[in-house]
Amino acid sequence: MMWVTWRQHRLEGLWALVLAGLVGAFTAYAAYELSVAAPNCPRTVGSGLCLSGDIFGQIAQSIMRFNLFQYGLVVLPALAGAFIGAPLVAREIENGTQHLAWTQGITRRRWLLTKLGLVVVPLLAVAALIGYVEVVFLNVQGPQVNRWDVFDQQSPVVPAATVLALALGVAFGAVIGRSVPAMAATLVSFVVVRVGIGELVRSHYIAPVMKTTHDLSAVGSQVDPTAWWLGFPDYYDSSGHLLGNLLGPGAGQPSYVIQYFQPGDRFWAFQTIESAILAGLALMILGFAVYWVTRRLT
Amino acid sequence: MIAPIEATGLGKRFGRTWALRDCSIRVPAGKIAGLVGPNGAGKTTFLHLAAGLLRPSSGEIRVFGRSPQSQLLLLLDRLGFVAQDTPLYGGFSVADMLRFGQKLNRRWDPAAAEARLRSLDIPFDKRISHLSGGQRSQVALALALGKHPELLLLDEPVARLDPLARREFMQRLTEAVAEEGSTVLLSSHVMADLERVCDYLIIIAAGQVQVAGDIEALLASHHLLVGPRVSDDVRLGGAELIKAQHTERQSSLWIRGRVPGLGPGWREEPLPLEELVITYLSAPQAGTLPRPELEEAAS
Repeated sequence: MMWVTWRQHRLEGLWALVLAGLVGAFTAYAAYELSVAAPNCPRTVGSGLCLSGDIFGQIAQSIMRFNLFQYGLVVLPALAGAFIGAPLVAREIENGTQHLAWTQGITRRRWLLTKLGLVVVPLLAVAALIGYVEVVFLNVQGPQVNRWDVFDQQSPVVPAATVLALALGVAFGAVIGRSVPAMAATLVSFVVVRVGIGELVRSHYIAPVMKTTHDLSAVGSQVDPTAWWLGFPDYYDSSGHLLGNLLGPGAGQPSYVIQYFQPGDRFWAFQTIESAILAGLALMILGFAVYWVTRRLT
Repeated sequence: MIAPIEATGLGKRFGRTWALRDCSIRVPAGKIAGLVGPNGAGKTTFLHLAAGLLRPSSGEIRVFGRSPQSQLLLLLDRLGFVAQDTPLYGGFSVADMLRFGQKLNRRWDPAAAEARLRSLDIPFDKRISHLSGGQRSQVALALALGKHPELLLLDEPVARLDPLARREFMQRLTEAVAEEGSTVLLSSHVMADLERVCDYLIIIAAGQVQVAGDIEALLASHHLLVGPRVSDDVRLGGAELIKAQHTERQSSLWIRGRVPGLGPGWREEPLPLEELVITYLSAPQAGTLPRPELEEAAS
């Protein structure tokens, strides 16, 4: 079955390697240029990053300006789920080849588990690697870099999200039995889960820190660029009445400001928690897919 | 001796419709059995139940005395299955397809499978999607025969082939099973496909078995009686009336069994196999068969 899986999915594997390789190479290149220029800082770009003035530094600057690899790290897991996960079982059902595969000498449980193992594990490794290159890319930007802005693009969340996308793809493919609808369902559900977790759940993993200050200019990243500032600052007057988030004419005389944030040193705890949630969901969905394929015989 | 296939009261329901209902079949060892019936009669459902691809909704099915559902791993090595439309991986070459068979079967005879395809001049480096329909089904057959199955199940293997390729496929099939001595269950809705190769016949319609038996015995026991006009409740002396047709002056009676001492003006004609099948399929309530007992498997 190992050879069969390789023969069936080698082309998809090649595509995954090429795309992930491009994203990883761009990120690694930018990280390398930043680290070379860091000691004597020939010229600064953007928000105080150092790059060399030669052609190589300019290439790195263009890469960072278009930010393609940052999108790639978010999009690639979804593509893996749709283009590799969804057809894994669905294409067999579409072509009737599951009846061929399931009447050979191995059980369909082993058939599916081998397929899953040989497809999911290598993609997990590739995703972990490119997510780690992003971590290095942020490391070379110095201790003041804000990692929360690119939370979804770093390891271990990237490989966990990749496995989730694949699991959704395999499960939808097995239940729907047709590739294209399964791909659509995979993309939609993956985006819903990721955006839902990012927007609604993530900030609650650990209770945020409340910061009260009378220095009205000390808000957000001006205080601590490595923190994740939640919502807008709340301004109060001296008697404790809430004036609002943004001060305009006639808003009253603010006296102090309250803000909530997640400090930078919690970042890896948050990465771990979110990875565990995504991976846990993925395992449950994969378990369901195995149940469906082995027990729901249709 | 344990029969290759035994089903008692077997039924399969998809949602609200019964694809197969109260079906009792015993396929004796060494037979080439034809499973005939119109489209949607339940042939595919029965074969899928036998191959462990489906679970029965009622009754049970045993293959070599074992359940294809709960003991499939014990059966897979002994079972060859060619699904409807002979599905194969279109992107694989013929050689890849043979390697697929080798990798997924403990019992696999690479030399036999290769020799079979070589004798048909099928190029090994050609992609499956570029093969003709006839070649494709030959590859599927070679793949199923590669493990020397004791029971070979084929679901409408020639339905999409032209007459020449049909004949070629059937010939190859008969040769192969003659060598191997395996039991075959072959479905088709075209009687002509089965007539030449089968020695056992199961007629199935609307999810129920109409008749099952050795073709020779079926032919010997069914007759057409033609004589002066009679009513439908004519006495037949133990023979069973399957169908009757009347014109103004003449009656035709399709019967099972023999009428002792035919009256004057009556003559008995043999019933060709195709007509026998059509007779049963056009009279769905006619078939009644004793239900075989399931032998307990020595497990």
